[in-house]
Amino acid sequence: MKKKIVLSIFIILISFLQNSCGSKRISKKIIVASSGKIESLDPARANTLKAIQLISSLGDTLYELNSNGELIPELASGMPVISKDRLQITINLRKNVFFHDGTAFNSNAMKFTFDRFKRIGTMNYILGNKIKSIETPSEYSVIINLNKPSSSLNGLLTSVNLTPISPTFYKQYSDKFLNEKFVGTGKYVLTSFSNEVQSIDPYLNYWGEKPLNNGVNFVGYSNSSSLFGALKSKQIDVLLSNSIDDSQRKSLNNLSKNKQFNEGNSPFTELSFISLKTSSYPLSNLNLRLALAKSLNRKLISEKVSYGLRKPSRSIIPPILKKDNQELWPKYDYLEARRLLQKENYCNGNILKIPLTYRSNVPADKLIALTWQEEIKNSLKDCIDIELNGVESTTVYKNLSLGIYTAVLLDWTGAYSDPEAYLTPLLSCNEIVDGICKKGESVYSGSFWGSNKVESLFLESEKISGIKRLEKLVEIEKIAASSIPYIPIWISSQKAWSQNKISKPIFNGAGIISLSDLELINE
Amino acid sequence: MSRNLNKLLNYSLLKISLIPIMLWIISSLVFILLRVAPGDPVDAILGSGADEVSREFLRNKLGLNEPLISQYFSYIKNILHLDFGQSLSTQEPVLNIIIKSLPASLELGFFSILSAILIGFPLGLIGLRNRGKKTDYIARILGIATYAIPPFWGAMLAQLLFSVFFNISPIGGRFPIFQQQPQITGFLVLDSILSNNIIALKDSLYHLALPSITLGFLLSGIFSRSLRVNLDKTLKSDYVNAAICRGISRKKIFLNHALPNALLPIVTISGLTMASLAGGALLFEVTFSWPGIALRLHEAISQRDYTLVQGIVIFTSMLIVSLNLFVDILIAYLDPRIEY
Repeated sequence: MKKKIVLSIFIILISFLQNSCGSKRISKKIIVASSGKIESLDPARANTLKAIQLISSLGDTLYELNSNGELIPELASGMPVISKDRLQITINLRKNVFFHDGTAFNSNAMKFTFDRFKRIGTMNYILGNKIKSIETPSEYSVIINLNKPSSSLNGLLTSVNLTPISPTFYKQYSDKFLNEKFVGTGKYVLTSFSNEVQSIDPYLNYWGEKPLNNGVNFVGYSNSSSLFGALKSKQIDVLLSNSIDDSQRKSLNNLSKNKQFNEGNSPFTELSFISLKTSSYPLSNLNLRLALAKSLNRKLISEKVSYGLRKPSRSIIPPILKKDNQELWPKYDYLEARRLLQKENYCNGNILKIPLTYRSNVPADKLIALTWQEEIKNSLKDCIDIELNGVESTTVYKNLSLGIYTAVLLDWTGAYSDPEAYLTPLLSCNEIVDGICKKGESVYSGSFWGSNKVESLFLESEKISGIKRLEKLVEIEKIAASSIPYIPIWISSQKAWSQNKISKPIFNGAGIISLSDLELINE
Repeated sequence: MSRNLNKLLNYSLLKISLIPIMLWIISSLVFILLRVAPGDPVDAILGSGADEVSREFLRNKLGLNEPLISQYFSYIKNILHLDFGQSLSTQEPVLNIIIKSLPASLELGFFSILSAILIGFPLGLIGLRNRGKKTDYIARILGIATYAIPPFWGAMLAQLLFSVFFNISPIGGRFPIFQQQPQITGFLVLDSILSNNIIALKDSLYHLALPSITLGFLLSGIFSRSLRVNLDKTLKSDYVNAAICRGISRKKIFLNHALPNALLPIVTISGLTMASLAGGALLFEVTFSWPGIALRLHEAISQRDYTLVQGIVIFTSMLIVSLNLFVDILIAYLDPRIEY
């Protein structure tokens, strides 16, 4: 009897709490959650996906990439006009566009934004030494003068870091960051900002289509379980997948299949790969690198580690940036791997020992390494021995260029949507001696691989555009695929889940979710 | 009496004089540990895609290329001026970040200790009153179990149960996302009262309830166990027997003689618990996305934000050392058996 009374009191208490505690949600704003916090809303400083996501709703870029990877003018009124010598790019700007502070958007604002980013931008290295100067021949056109022809500049023009900001509002901040405010031309106006919660409302004077919702509250939770729990308990409306665990991704994927949530996917842009140190034995030997590449069962790794949610990849350029979906790296073929190893006098009592370094603070890395190790134990036990070595990620990045790691698991997402943003950081080299890179990007990626042919193809690709340029870049990838300084493993996409009362999240070609398209469909 | 006060003052001054030495040792250790720890703040700021030229430029700008010894001396000099520097990742003064996030942690700490006392003391008393009975065993097991549960696990379990399964508590944060929070002192409960905002008060208590009661519950074991043991000991002491013989009522004996003496060791335990909260609350704040100083520390460590980590650790050390000093002096004052 006593127990029943206690139980009844407990149930009544729970019901009471469920109905009485806390404010009822009166706001019609959509709550979007992701992990972490936003340190800065300054486009010159923003480098986290979350900050970039929010800035892209508060501001417009000159161009945007659609989900097919095509360039769409936003603040530009047309496609860029490139001079014959390819050293000048003229962009005409849209008229009657106003910043959130009421001032007009024009060529001076564009110049101010470019110059400021070049001067103080945390990621100003993405411009490299490509841009010489910006001219403003008229109020609504800008001319970008280049140091050398660069066909990848179209990609840069979609960069959120170059989102135009109001020169009037940022006058005091032309040489320093403004972290907690943002005045751009975007569909939304920032109404409140704290590191954890940001609130945005529709901008009534917006030049284009108005948002489909009454505003968005952006909230950050510090761990994956909280995000998962918040979506399941309907405390949030939309969840962005960055940093959510694979098991929870899988669970949300299943729930979406059962129509409990709507799932949106971005194009596949995040590449995971193994970098092989080609400058010293044993991996200076091409046959051994080829054998390793053929021993990697990507399908198995994808299924075991990511429950099949990440796409096995035999290419380093994401599919969205290539016209065809050609995969160039060798397929999994352990028999062929054995043959190659035997050719190099391994297998018959002589085992090739490969130390594989993985980032200990990236859970998927360890699982990839363990799965590959087990797979090799099953099929090539007498030929290869993978020795695992977990190192914290920042140490890995710091030591990569020192040539400490024989094989190391890494990932890469291009800073802008262009094949070059994947090929240059992995393959380019400034000084090559006997096929070994002494100075350049491939040193910093840990492969030390260099090819004069690749360098000349990079130069040639700068002078052409369109499909011809793409063919050159694919040619570079083909050379890399036959030399194997890296072994691509899989390519991942961003995901977002929304409650059924909200429309399905839609991503653009750069992996940014379109907040303005989120709509309450069943209040 | 005045001789005793003089002695207490001397004792306090001796304790206070040790503080700068302790803080110097702590700050030096923090400096050394951060420099020998793997990782580079430049990578954390620029990401792994930056070229070496950009990295070198930033390293020079942040003074990370200076010899360690000169970095150390400028660091100590700044601390002496209470200048903890600027956060490497946000360029915001570290002291500002601490001041902004400290109230959240103190508020959580205060309500957690309050919950721990409100749960722990009755448990200890019930156990003692029902010595050897089922209730006593339950109270004792509960006391030991709560003490043994790792805080982060307890936090995750509470979150799963009350926020996800029953859906009666917010999953994290300090205030509803869709409401404007009162901003006066940074202590939301106090601010709500000061601004006479009942809804804000209700909301802040609603958000505070789950983390503080869970943390309080996990800390209650130490309070219930120590109250039970100390009260049991004092109730069996000669002076309590003498009071019974003199015909003083049991209620008076309990309230005036036994309880104050049993509470003395609990003052020490409270001080130690508050200190342990500084470390223990880290994962707790992370689990509940509670925007306090421990969450900031967690983020700063992952971003290799040297100056912020240094600032938070030194500031927290100052708090703990001051708290311990206060408890030491209070005990010395309250307990006539302590010689100083």
